[in-house]
Amino acid sequence: MSKKTPLVLGIDAGGTMTDTILVDEEGNFAIGKAPTTPGKEAEGFIESAYDATGIWGLDAKKTFEELSVVLYSGTGMLNTLLSRTGQRLGLLITKGFEDAVLMGRGMQTWAGYSYEDRLHAVTHAHPEPLLPINRVRGVTERIDQFGKVVIPAYEREVVEGVKDLIDQGIEALCICTIFSHVNPEHELKIGEAAQKILEKHNIDIPIYYSHQVRPVIREQSRLNSALIEAYATAKGREQLVNVDKAAKKEGFKHGVQTVLSYGGLANMNYPRLHETMISGPVGGILGAKHVGELIGTDSVIVSDMGGTSFDIGAITRGNVPIDNEPTLDRFKLNLPTIAMDTIGAGAGTIIKVDPFTHKVSLGPESAGADPGPVALDRGGTEPTIGDCDAIMGRLNPDYFLGGKVKLNIEKSKKVLQEKVADPLGIDVYEAAEGMVNLLELEARSSIESIISTRGVDPSEYHLMAYGGSGPLHMAEYSRGLGFKGTMTFPFAAAFSAFGCTTADYLHRYSQSVQIMIDPNADETSRDQIRTQINDIWNELNTEARDEFSSEGHDADEVIIEPFAMMRYTGQLEDVEVPAPQFKLNSDDDLNKLTEAFETLYETMNRSVSRYGEIGFTIMELGLTARVEKVKPNLVRRPLQSKEPNADASKGTRPMYYNREWHEAQIWEMDYLLPGNVLEGPAIIEHPATTLVIPKGDYVYFDEWTILHYEHGEES
Amino acid sequence: MNTVPETKMNTLKEQLLESDRLLKETGHYAGLQELKNRTEDPMKYESLHTNLRSIAVEAREMARRISASPGVREVGEMVVALYTPEGDAISLSTGIMVHVHTMSRFIKWMIQNGYEEDPGIRPGDIFANNDAFIGTVHVPDVMDVMPIYYEGELIGWAGAVAHELEVGGITPGGDVYLAQERFTEGLIVSAEKVGTNDSLRRDYLTRVERNVRMPIYWILDQKAKVASCLEMREKVTELIDDVGLDYFKRTTREFIEEGRRSQLSQVQDLMVPGRYRGQNFYGHITEGKQGILPLSENANLLYSIPLELDVSSDGKMHLDFEGTGSWGYHSMNCTPAGMDGGLFVALTQSMNYEGKVNDGAWMATDMNLPEGTWTNPDSHLAATATSWSLMLPAFGIFQRLISRGFISRGFKEEAFVGQVNSPMVEMGGQSQYGDKFGMALFECAAAGSGAIGMKDGIDTGYVGWNPESDMGNIEVWEQGIPMLYMGRSISADSGGAGRNRGGTAFSSMWLVHNTDQLTIATSEHSSRVFDNAGLCGGYPAPTAHPHFAVRNTNMDQLVEEEKPLPHSLGNNPNQTDLEKYVDGDFEHVEGPYIDKPFKSGDLFAHTYNGGGGYGDPIERDPLDIARDVENGYVTMEIASNAHAVVLDYDEEKNECKVDTKATVKRREEVRQSRLNKAVPVQEWIKSERKKVMEKDFVPEVQNMYKDTLNISEKFEKEFKTFWNLPEDFTM
Repeated sequence: MSKKTPLVLGIDAGGTMTDTILVDEEGNFAIGKAPTTPGKEAEGFIESAYDATGIWGLDAKKTFEELSVVLYSGTGMLNTLLSRTGQRLGLLITKGFEDAVLMGRGMQTWAGYSYEDRLHAVTHAHPEPLLPINRVRGVTERIDQFGKVVIPAYEREVVEGVKDLIDQGIEALCICTIFSHVNPEHELKIGEAAQKILEKHNIDIPIYYSHQVRPVIREQSRLNSALIEAYATAKGREQLVNVDKAAKKEGFKHGVQTVLSYGGLANMNYPRLHETMISGPVGGILGAKHVGELIGTDSVIVSDMGGTSFDIGAITRGNVPIDNEPTLDRFKLNLPTIAMDTIGAGAGTIIKVDPFTHKVSLGPESAGADPGPVALDRGGTEPTIGDCDAIMGRLNPDYFLGGKVKLNIEKSKKVLQEKVADPLGIDVYEAAEGMVNLLELEARSSIESIISTRGVDPSEYHLMAYGGSGPLHMAEYSRGLGFKGTMTFPFAAAFSAFGCTTADYLHRYSQSVQIMIDPNADETSRDQIRTQINDIWNELNTEARDEFSSEGHDADEVIIEPFAMMRYTGQLEDVEVPAPQFKLNSDDDLNKLTEAFETLYETMNRSVSRYGEIGFTIMELGLTARVEKVKPNLVRRPLQSKEPNADASKGTRPMYYNREWHEAQIWEMDYLLPGNVLEGPAIIEHPATTLVIPKGDYVYFDEWTILHYEHGEES
Repeated sequence: MNTVPETKMNTLKEQLLESDRLLKETGHYAGLQELKNRTEDPMKYESLHTNLRSIAVEAREMARRISASPGVREVGEMVVALYTPEGDAISLSTGIMVHVHTMSRFIKWMIQNGYEEDPGIRPGDIFANNDAFIGTVHVPDVMDVMPIYYEGELIGWAGAVAHELEVGGITPGGDVYLAQERFTEGLIVSAEKVGTNDSLRRDYLTRVERNVRMPIYWILDQKAKVASCLEMREKVTELIDDVGLDYFKRTTREFIEEGRRSQLSQVQDLMVPGRYRGQNFYGHITEGKQGILPLSENANLLYSIPLELDVSSDGKMHLDFEGTGSWGYHSMNCTPAGMDGGLFVALTQSMNYEGKVNDGAWMATDMNLPEGTWTNPDSHLAATATSWSLMLPAFGIFQRLISRGFISRGFKEEAFVGQVNSPMVEMGGQSQYGDKFGMALFECAAAGSGAIGMKDGIDTGYVGWNPESDMGNIEVWEQGIPMLYMGRSISADSGGAGRNRGGTAFSSMWLVHNTDQLTIATSEHSSRVFDNAGLCGGYPAPTAHPHFAVRNTNMDQLVEEEKPLPHSLGNNPNQTDLEKYVDGDFEHVEGPYIDKPFKSGDLFAHTYNGGGGYGDPIERDPLDIARDVENGYVTMEIASNAHAVVLDYDEEKNECKVDTKATVKRREEVRQSRLNKAVPVQEWIKSERKKVMEKDFVPEVQNMYKDTLNISEKFEKEFKTFWNLPEDFTM
């Protein structure tokens, strides 16, 4: 192997496996994999990185010293939320709104549902709250929409409330008051009083203020953001800091970066870490966009199946959909996010058969990385999907993680027999395939649901399947959906990590305002408006450059793009208007800003909906600050013969599929070449992933070494 | 006959007649006995359907971006749909499903009434309507439709409806309960051409700007609807470019025929054929209230709503409202268009949610709406502003009846106690910005649903008219009203008791703020009779809650002294938290609230409705009740009296434990006491007959029977036969 010069290291720590992708200047990839080490994520990170450097025979220390970028994104925080294993929270909220944690918003009972289930009311249900009502305490106070104090905060209620919450052993305290994004005075006052009580009791727990976590209108979303930040990110931050330390210890010269929900990057000290919670899936979307651009496919459905969750998203004609009010585990948030859906489904998904009713259910619990599936022999006792794959011969017991972990097939088989096959009174292999099919069906219906809710016509889209378990199950979860094409990648396991490496350093800074531009405003008031806008942009500009400098970038390299969130006065939705210029020097420049709004508004909403007669309101002023980053490239290689080289063949192995045993041809992924065509029954093995091709289907390697999956007879 | 009508040379009126004839003669929509395009290329067929539906879904999202109304933007009170040239819905967005068929009525009405000649139907025309006798539910539901032309031929209609939060009626808001005739309901647009060349006419906008209290809601909603129609028109035209006009015409009609067939097969799959009967009542307290016009007797109203549902073995459903009461000088009447809408929205939630959701389902059902009753007034002057008052209970029975069908076929998980009324608060006067305003506070769109066969009803997340329920954010509502929320909290016991509990609703309490004049009016209340029953032994949803207000309060002083303030009504039935904490002039009002304006410092509280229960309440898992008590869904009193559980409740810690032994004993006692109370049916009928013979009824009940016996010969005959009454019996 020739000497590589590593450039970017991307790490995606899933619920089960930590995947590393190492990219060099010529666009070569090395994929490392190691079990995620919950609680000690830095260890899994280093092991996974070593695994990757080992493939290229590089010295790990030297590699770290040479690297320009290390990107870490983890689903740890998301999984904490999904599995409801977060902090024990207490909440102080404006008195009278304590029930908000139970009531949620009505729309949370159906948000994210398919068209059919949106109509079919009996399916609607609230998400499970993050804390019980017992740990919510009201504080009398009210501030109105203009930020005026109408009822001052009753401090004694804070004292009583916090004492009670301390008795209940809370690990974090959240504070949310109405209109705190306009005037944070009460949240701060409540926090100060709470802090005093905590100190008096010698208790050191963090306090989360809704106006700091997400300073925007809509109390329910702000409350959700604050609760989720407190619930799921505390452990996450510690992990990230440890990863950063570990990288520096290895010789890395810069700060480790993590990925934000809107596709930007931030360092470990970023104060609003919940913005990174959907970053794992986001990496996949960024990667799909990048690959799509290279190969000329601009409409893509992405599907990522790992050990714990299955994430799906859509890129339509090159447009990555941004959701300003996304749902996270069915909680409504106010956070610009690359739109993705997630369900709990992966190799670690635990199978349950009720011993009395024989009702079968999958997950949402996952065996995760610790103990992991039974086959890993690390103390897992509950049958998982991975165990099913193992006993059916779809996974190579001697080549899991390239042979570093030997799978204990007998143990898996015993557990599946006892806990699944026997209660159901069926053969163990039939049971295993039945469970796997059930999982594939769930994944498939979540793709169908995105087709239906996002109005996607599958015949215009390619499906990209990746994640450690994606290639294992893609044959069935994509069957019969009618996509234009279905693809996966040799580096499928690290595709999300790869995607992250395509991002730029990007932060968003903004401030809520309420600037009304009356159609009949005189010049003096228009001058005041201009000054106010310029001042805010200036402050944000300074803040952005300072923050980038502190992260080790050259302040002069920062590209600033100011924007204004604007609407016709009285409307409820803003349009994000890129400002025509950074400074409004003259009255005409203010006109240019409102014209830019109307032009964009008209493009989005048609000219008939213009209503300039009622004037304009700016609700938020902000800017995005960006520093460009080196990005990896895919390499185009000449096509070879259809027949793979002999050295790619690893013989055959029995594989159970469609209720019978097949003798499957085994191939080594790294030895397959562009142009090769592989017919099922076959299994393509890679240390980090396994692609299963049942009888009748085949796979074609194109010039980018992308694998195109073709179904035989569409069922 | 197996062809789509040759349309090119015919007028729309001829096309409509032909389409009706084909349906009548062949029993198939557009005479389509075969779904040829579906059979030949199912993928292409499904792809067109998916595309058309996503066009509607996306157009609705666009409209929501434009709207200034929290009704549309925040809680989604809108729907858009695509129609055939004859006005049959092909595909639709989600949202207020009730309007898919009302808009159909509006299009057909224009065709039937010669609009092709005068005022003419041309490319770029915009037609609007909120006249319920032409095709909508009530005045606030304003609809806009635009014809879609392809190569000079009208090949369909794009339509959109939004619920307006202010319509300029006798009281502010949209559902103007005080309206007694159409003249006080607000601004009515009767199938009017309001725009040409893709633009709304300036004179029309001027009329709106000068005749409603909050023109920005109506006007921006209207612009939003027109924009979404234009968007649909453009996308549909592009699709026709791809698939060809003939394919489009045939296939879209196949969608409707498929929708019709799938409704029939759903009924066959899910229900046992036969005759199902149910009954609801609705009582409206108006006696002595301000502002009631001299047309009515100023007496309380009580409506009987019987429903007979015939399910035939081929899956057809026939609904018959024979025996219900006559229309009156009040705002609760409904038009056949509204009733169609009620049926359609009920069907989409229970049977017609999958596959081809379109007018096909409606074609597979029919209704008898007896003329002269509230379901079909014989005068178009009748007011319909609060038609939901009677319509929701009417289709609540329908939901219970089909649920019985589902249960009898074993589909218990589909059984749904269903719809409830969720009374709305409307207001107007002087805003916090110093100008005039009007607003319907649409947080009512997230009440409690009835219980479901396999689980509890949905708490604070359901209303009958829009399956995408939501209450919206307080910070958004407060931008539109001069009031501050003091609290928004779960309303304990608002769900009917049952093995599966009815969903609970919430209460809001406001402090009037930054205004000298705020008029509040509320609507849709049945405060003395249950307007929705339970199912399979579940208790009904509780009646509407009374209103509480305090004027001339000492709130300033309380705040100054940091005294406790009221945030909800509390759970003490004998003393509200208002009375507990505040001094001032108290009001306790049953039924719709209408009174002199409020001013800053006054307090007002309003409660929404929950749903009915399912199954015997004493079979409910005691642990679930303990959890309900801790969460505030159920009070200790109801836990003990209705569910017969014995709980050990630590109020301070809010921890509830079940005394299992005592609960078993208590439940056994309840069973025994029920047996002790029971009498044979024959005996009971005998005693009740005596009451009938003696006309031993309160005046409202006697008047109700007088009216229904008078308006329906069939009902009179049945009533007399059932109670074995003499021929000359009169009420």
